[in-house]
This record gives sequence, structure tokens and C-alpha cells, in this order.
Amino acid sequence: MMIPSDHFTKFYNEVFKFLEAKGEKDLRDYWLEISRHQEGHCLELFKTKGLKGMYDYWEHIRIEENCDMTLTLNDDYLKLDMHKCPSLSKVLDNDATPCKRYCDHCEGWIAPLIAKAGYYCVYDLIDREIPKCKMYIYKDKELAQKKRKEIADRS
Amino acid sequence: MRYKSTGELHMDFHGATNTTIDYIANKYGKEALVDIFHKVGKDVYKSIHEGLKNDDPSELIEHLNYYLTREKADYTLTENEDGFVLDVRKCPAVAHIKSLGLEVSPYFSLQYVEISNALCESTPWQCSTEIFEDGRYRQTFSRRK
Repeated sequence: MMIPSDHFTKFYNEVFKFLEAKGEKDLRDYWLEISRHQEGHCLELFKTKGLKGMYDYWEHIRIEENCDMTLTLNDDYLKLDMHKCPSLSKVLDNDATPCKRYCDHCEGWIAPLIAKAGYYCVYDLIDREIPKCKMYIYKDKELAQKKRKEIADRS
Repeated sequence: MRYKSTGELHMDFHGATNTTIDYIANKYGKEALVDIFHKVGKDVYKSIHEGLKNDDPSELIEHLNYYLTREKADYTLTENEDGFVLDVRKCPAVAHIKSLGLEVSPYFSLQYVEISNALCESTPWQCSTEIFEDGRYRQTFSRRK
């Protein structure tokens, strides 16, 4: 039986649980591998077109992955406002146990890729059991640090 | 059927599955991958597994038809006296991985075999899988004698 593309996240969840049992480094090394794999799809786009290139990439993802998400492109940053994440939704709607660290994979692969493109990623996870989060991508390091502090203070 | 996805398809997930399969097999060994596939078979597809335990393959048949049709696979599923035969002439996952310019992992077809074996484990059903070239495979699901 083939794993349908629709059920990749359920397979992903099993892989995370396996790696989490091995240790933190094992989990992080895997996310870096996914990040390196994604470089082929989007690093050049992100480097050459900057925030607009990132907007175009996630707009494509928004449609193809059935995301209920609002993308806002400003001069200083790109905001991804995920109202209902299809990835976590599928993992929660699952007869197998969700990995408690599931949400961390997103920042785990995106942040290194964004850094290679010369940008700064700030992730607002909100709640691991609610498929809702926000991500901000800044060109300016200080603005990113300010947002990161704002989120940390709120938490 | 327990999971019935609708909407757009993100076929690039097959590329991520391929990368992940290669990564796990190369770093942790084939047995680790087999263990993960068995958890997918028994835990994720618990409902199908329970059905087979109760000698009812209907959800498995519905699942195979639904997702292979949704991904436009070239396949036939033929029921017979002993069970049914799934003949996949072009696996959509393999076709998509190739279209991305990626090399298909030598362990990729292990998912067909091991998820099906896990589904059938401790049930009145068994599965034998034949793997051919270029994403062709045949699975025979039958009641144990």
C-alpha cells in the first residue's frame, strides 16, 4: 500500500516520534535534511526575489496544501497567519498518537533556509494542540529581534 | 472510511516521503524503516487493521480505490474468490518523484510491502507483494488457508 500524498503528515508524525525517542539531535538533524532538500525548490527564489519570492512560494503552498492562511506582504516583513494548519489538523485527526513536538518541524526546516537567504524568521507557535500559528519573516535583524521579544513577553 | 481527504493534492509530498525513507534507512537501517511502516499500518490505519481482524476488507478496498483514483494511478483492483488483487501499472508516487528529477530510493517500495504486512498481521488476511520496475507492483490480498 502506497502512502497517499494526503497522508504524508501522518507518516511524518511517526518519523518524528521515532526520532524524538532517539534524541533531540536526531530530530534536529532530520529537519536540517528536509531544509537542505527544500533549498532546491526555493532558496534561489528567496535570494533573488526576497520577501516577494517567499510570498509567491507560500501562496502556491496555501492553495496546494489547502491551507486556511492569510499572507500579508509589507515593506519590512512577510506575515503568514495560519488560521487552520492542514498539516497539524491531519496529525490530530489520527488514530495514531500525535508527536508532542510536531509543530517544531516547521521552524526546524524553514528558519535555516530563510537564514541562508539572508532573512530572519520569527515563529509564534500559539498552541501545539490548536492548528493555528503565525510566522514573520524579516530582512532587518533588529525588527526580527523586537518581534521575537514581543512574543516571548506575551508568553 | 476513516480518512477521506478532499481538495487540492500536494504531490510533492511524495518527494518528501522519498527523502525521508532514504534518510531513515541510510542512517538507522532498514529495520528502523520497517518498524515505522508497521506503526503506520497498525496505528494510523487502525480502522483498516481492525476491519481485517474482523475478516472485513471493505475499508481497505475502499481506501485503495479512493486514493489511487484521487492520484490518477493506472491500476486495477480485481476481487476474486480468495480475496482481491491490486495491480498498479504506474505508481503515482514514483512517477511524481521522477518528474521532480529525484532518484527513487531503493527502499521506496518497502512501504507497499510493510504497511500491507502490518495491516494483515494477526488477522485472517495475508498479502503477497511483487515489485516490478518503474513503479509497477502487484499485491494479492487473500484469506489465510
